[in-house]
Amino acid sequence: MTAVVETTAQAVPRRGLAALNPLAKIAGAAPAMIALVFVRDLSTPLVFLCLAYAVLLLGTRFAPRALGILIGVIPLAIVVVAAGFALWVDPARVEGSPELVRIGAVVVTAGAAEVGLATGLRLAAIMALAFIGGLTTEGADLVRALVQQLRVPYRIGYAGLAAIRFVPRFGHELAVIRQAHRVRGARGGAWSAPARVAGYVVPLLAGGIRHAERVALAMDARAFGAHRDRTERYLVPWRRRDSVFVGVFWAVSIMVFVIVRPF
Amino acid sequence: MTTRPHPVAASAAADAAALLSLRDVGITHLDAARATPSAVSLDVRPGEVVLLLGPSGSGKSTLALALNGLVPHAVPAAVEGTVRVAGQDAATATVAQLALTVGMVFQDPDAQLITGTLLDEVCFGPENLRLPVDVVLARAEAALRRMGLWERRHESPDVLSGGGRQRLAIACALAMGSPVLVLDEPIANLDPRGVDDVYAALREIVAEGDRALVLVEHNLDAAMGLVERVVVLDGEGCLVADGPVDEVLRARAPELHALGVWLPTATLAALRLRDAGYPFARLPLTPAELREALEAMPARGAASVPRSPERDADMPLLRVEGLRLSQGRTPVLHGIDLAVTAGEFVAVVGANGAGKTTLVQAIAGVLRPPRGTVRIDGIDVRRAGARTLSRHVGFVFQNPEHQFVTTTVFDEIAHGLRAQRLGDAEVRRRTEDLLTRFGLIDKADVHPFLLSGGQKRRLSVGTALIGGARLLVLDEPTFGQDRARADELLALLDDLREEGTTIVVVTHDMQVVAEHADRLVVVDDGRIAADGPVVDVFSDAALIARSGLRTPPLREAFAGLARHPGLATVARLRDLPGGAR
Repeated sequence: MTAVVETTAQAVPRRGLAALNPLAKIAGAAPAMIALVFVRDLSTPLVFLCLAYAVLLLGTRFAPRALGILIGVIPLAIVVVAAGFALWVDPARVEGSPELVRIGAVVVTAGAAEVGLATGLRLAAIMALAFIGGLTTEGADLVRALVQQLRVPYRIGYAGLAAIRFVPRFGHELAVIRQAHRVRGARGGAWSAPARVAGYVVPLLAGGIRHAERVALAMDARAFGAHRDRTERYLVPWRRRDSVFVGVFWAVSIMVFVIVRPF
Repeated sequence: MTTRPHPVAASAAADAAALLSLRDVGITHLDAARATPSAVSLDVRPGEVVLLLGPSGSGKSTLALALNGLVPHAVPAAVEGTVRVAGQDAATATVAQLALTVGMVFQDPDAQLITGTLLDEVCFGPENLRLPVDVVLARAEAALRRMGLWERRHESPDVLSGGGRQRLAIACALAMGSPVLVLDEPIANLDPRGVDDVYAALREIVAEGDRALVLVEHNLDAAMGLVERVVVLDGEGCLVADGPVDEVLRARAPELHALGVWLPTATLAALRLRDAGYPFARLPLTPAELREALEAMPARGAASVPRSPERDADMPLLRVEGLRLSQGRTPVLHGIDLAVTAGEFVAVVGANGAGKTTLVQAIAGVLRPPRGTVRIDGIDVRRAGARTLSRHVGFVFQNPEHQFVTTTVFDEIAHGLRAQRLGDAEVRRRTEDLLTRFGLIDKADVHPFLLSGGQKRRLSVGTALIGGARLLVLDEPTFGQDRARADELLALLDDLREEGTTIVVVTHDMQVVAEHADRLVVVDDGRIAADGPVVDVFSDAALIARSGLRTPPLREAFAGLARHPGLATVARLRDLPGGAR
């Protein structure tokens, strides 16, 4: 019998961001994400937001869900966070700035609006930068890269991979438990919400632990952990283009900070 | 019965050619008082197909786990005697080393999946063995092709049916290259179609002859024709029989039955009929053999078969009229009409996605049916509040743990009564009554999660009935349980039914349908495709195939018996002449 040789990670060759090493995407964006935590102006996050969108739009072919996040979730997050912070900001910090809107006793000054918008943009920019890796990487590839490049023990990596499979199972089980508790006439209303949620935890944990034990037995039975390493059928190499991506991303990040001078 | 020293015990010296060689093996779990199994000696040689039988608590599954070292290496337990796997001592070898000889397939297909595609899943084991990539792929391809899954190798295991996922688990075990496969109740979580799927795959493996199989299985009807050798443990975990199918199952059937060991339905039926005077020279193991034996016998005086009581259609307990229901925007039920009379035991069956669960959830008010479409005791389920509803209908979810809302067994039952605003004394009296009836009174202060599986199930039925409901609705109550636990629940349902409770149960389990229900409702694509006495519905072969059902063994044996017209309508073992077997 002849084996079809499929040593690359994918049946269909990947292009753009998906072809990069997952670690490169994280390493490239990380300095900018950390620096953004400390900026307070409007321009820097806006520039990084545009930059992240440009990288994502040029480097990916989008599934509807990913497009929904870019077009819907991120802009919505900007609006919600901006509005929230504009109302919440300490008036003393923006004293003297002109009044923008007044509804009853609530006053929004231009200064407060600016603080709110800056916060919203900052969070959005960090999110968008994280999505460069997040939307274009499969969990399995990240685990492989961690094992192959960062020498994370494969027992931890693959156990994590198995755990990811628990998530939809947990979701389904939680839905059934909520339905069952409703049928039992568990107390309704907002006040008893904490007690209600606590009631879901025990059956969810009991089911989860039992499932995890079974999965562990099945993995042991297939010789998981037999040797110090295991055959890596899919190589997730660190190629020159990964180094180039990281280098260029860092250079552009530094340029942005030098030109905009937010600090 | 004396069990030791045993006549069938294997010779004292380990057999060099045996793949598995057990000598005086006793296994004591950490929290157990005695060893089950205890003092088991047996050998398994290449290519053998061994069925491991024993009553509940005999330690079959524990023994299966000891064959590749999961007991004691992964599941702590004290192991006496020696387990040799291809010559290595299982006590000192690692599970990974033993996995080269013994592959395992477990009961729950979902708990055996780790990766995102079929190909990755099958490669997982060989990769752990550090085999070169081309060997890994060659093994994966061979295993997937044998299980008929190669074309789907890039798909996610999640899109496979239950039977398909279990075939994938078998492929994973094959890819390990181990000459022995141990399967622990591999079809307990599957519907009839999945059972056929898995057994077709196993038959192919046996036909190739390159693997020995050790099968722990309760569904002997499916396993007959596949296995060659039967090993039986008794309730104490001692080996009582080990030999070819004929010598063990045929020759010692009454003795095994007395031990509480499961037997093929055809054999059980023949034992009863033999007590009633039917002369069986040789006990049958399959429906075809039973039928053949009966047709060769002279006709006997017509056995009086109790027909299920005629339904009083004018006074139904439950009346469903023109029930239509959608989930989201997808219509699931398209106009269901159904009337159930007090005291009936109704099984609702049908293929996955036919709408069975939606139907019973609407009946019990778990989902809200449109106004006037579901009435119980004349009360409109849509308009009834939770408190009123609990006085008329109880719903039991698949997993009893899901519906526990308090921290003691007592409170769990009392919860339903307190909701009805009864006084403390009344709540205590009625709760204690029910706990006594359900055999849980000494567990009143225990946390529900610390009960045994069977006790949890009884408690969940109790919580559904404490409000005074005369109608009990259950959604797949035997799914994923071993036969012993399922039988315990079914016995409870039979008792409740005797006391007058009406029972509606959704199930894939043909045993429930054949042995307990008297009426069968077949749901197909959101409509009722058939509704009638079990015997009548099973006479429609086309309908059975279309709805994902299988003819129960007794129907297969008896339908249209020419010489014994009295038996031709029997669907249940208990309706056979022959008394108290």
